[in-house]
Amino acid sequence: MGHNQESGGRRLDRRRFLTAAAIGGATIVGASALGGLDAEAAFAAPMPSLDPAIRAAFAEGRVVAVNRGVLDVAGSHGERHLIQLTNATSVWKLRTTTAEAIESGDGLYARGVTMPDGTIAADAVWVNIVNVHCTIRGIAKDRLHLAHGNHELVGRIVPATTTASYLGGALTSDLSRMRIGQTAQVLGAWRPADNHIDIARLTLGH
Amino acid sequence: MIPVVSALAPLVCGLLLAPAGAGKLFGRHTSRLAANTVLVRVLHGSRRATLALRVLGAAELALAAALLAAPTTVVPGAATAALGLGFTGYLAYSKATAPESSCGCGARAEGPIGARSFIRAGLVLAGGLAAATADTTWWSEVSGHPAASLLFLLVTAALLPAVSSDLDHLWLLPVRKARLRLFGNPLPSSAGVRVPVDASVELLEHSLAWQAARPVVRSALLDHWDDEGWRVLRYAGTYPDPHGTRPVSVLFALDLTASIDTAPSPAVRVSLVDEESEQVLPADALALPTAP
Repeated sequence: MGHNQESGGRRLDRRRFLTAAAIGGATIVGASALGGLDAEAAFAAPMPSLDPAIRAAFAEGRVVAVNRGVLDVAGSHGERHLIQLTNATSVWKLRTTTAEAIESGDGLYARGVTMPDGTIAADAVWVNIVNVHCTIRGIAKDRLHLAHGNHELVGRIVPATTTASYLGGALTSDLSRMRIGQTAQVLGAWRPADNHIDIARLTLGH
Repeated sequence: MIPVVSALAPLVCGLLLAPAGAGKLFGRHTSRLAANTVLVRVLHGSRRATLALRVLGAAELALAAALLAAPTTVVPGAATAALGLGFTGYLAYSKATAPESSCGCGARAEGPIGARSFIRAGLVLAGGLAAATADTTWWSEVSGHPAASLLFLLVTAALLPAVSSDLDHLWLLPVRKARLRLFGNPLPSSAGVRVPVDASVELLEHSLAWQAARPVVRSALLDHWDDEGWRVLRYAGTYPDPHGTRPVSVLFALDLTASIDTAPSPAVRVSLVDEESEQVLPADALALPTAP
């Protein structure tokens, strides 16, 4: 416990320091439409690497073990990956999180660079991510009933996390505008325990 | 057993098994259905799983025919009960070993194994047991006690949609829609909600600041926090200097309340902080726009 509090305190101190640095930064005003690196990028076509000399590597599978920042991953087609997490690895598990949130049994997509020893140094890891187009079949206080083809799904609303975008508008926590029968793109994290989906983002009306 | 139940059980079981069996045996989607079941793993291949489902469909059809044609013999009823028991065991096994798989029980619907699947299997078991004890044929029961028979059949028919998801669109969806119309949408509305972090990231990624910082940024969002009206987003980056490439934190600070709807061209503050020395680096590494 003591250790946690200590590192939590240090983290807060560091955040305060970084806030001061951030607010003191150069101000840039303007707008430009550019794609992102967020969770949806997990499903985008492999992006060209920032450095043309480095080829992006992709890995997908189930986490078998987590060992000091290295994920042992069994791929869906029998292959094995060792994925090295670095201090520049972004980890997504329903929301932006840290490597501690990764558990064995989780499914993941990882993008990174293959190192000489065969491990993949990951720049992004998306844990249990699912992205489905479905129809809203029911709306309850804490969940949506969804139909994906003939498949029934339960999507859970996660307070302070689930967001929606209507007709291309900004992401909002206002979820009251969806209707039964509407089609939605659901981005979320699969829950191995009950096979439900924790919803990160709903895109409606496209 | 109550006479009307046991006498009519062969009729009900036969009428239920016939379409389920025919759907599996002749259905065009049987192979797709089989692909999602635990059978694929148990039988080592989706072709064998498809074959198994088709054989099961044929058995269900044969049982249905036997139940309807020879309702007073024990064997079809006992076989139906055994089928129900088998379903229950199979569901329990699937649920325990592969909860994400579809049960493949209905002819059409796929879905996770839930209470409905178990109730359905249990009803097959109970129906089979009742059918095995039938001592009058269903046709003589119907002609002998038409009112009681009709009531029993109506009750069974009413139970059917509750245990089968195939009919949900007929009753469950209208019920849910009516409930929303009566009680309103239970989900949170726009009143007093804060701007989600994802919306700030979206806003940032549409900004010139992001475009300017992209050559430096080497990660997706690593951390974020709110402080005094600002939302700070931290990314990892690299900064070239004469001694090589240094790891830096790329920090963006933007208005906590802004989104692409309210502030399409936001003011964004960008800073680079050296990861090791914690020095704030000059912003000349950013591809800042030159003044027009």
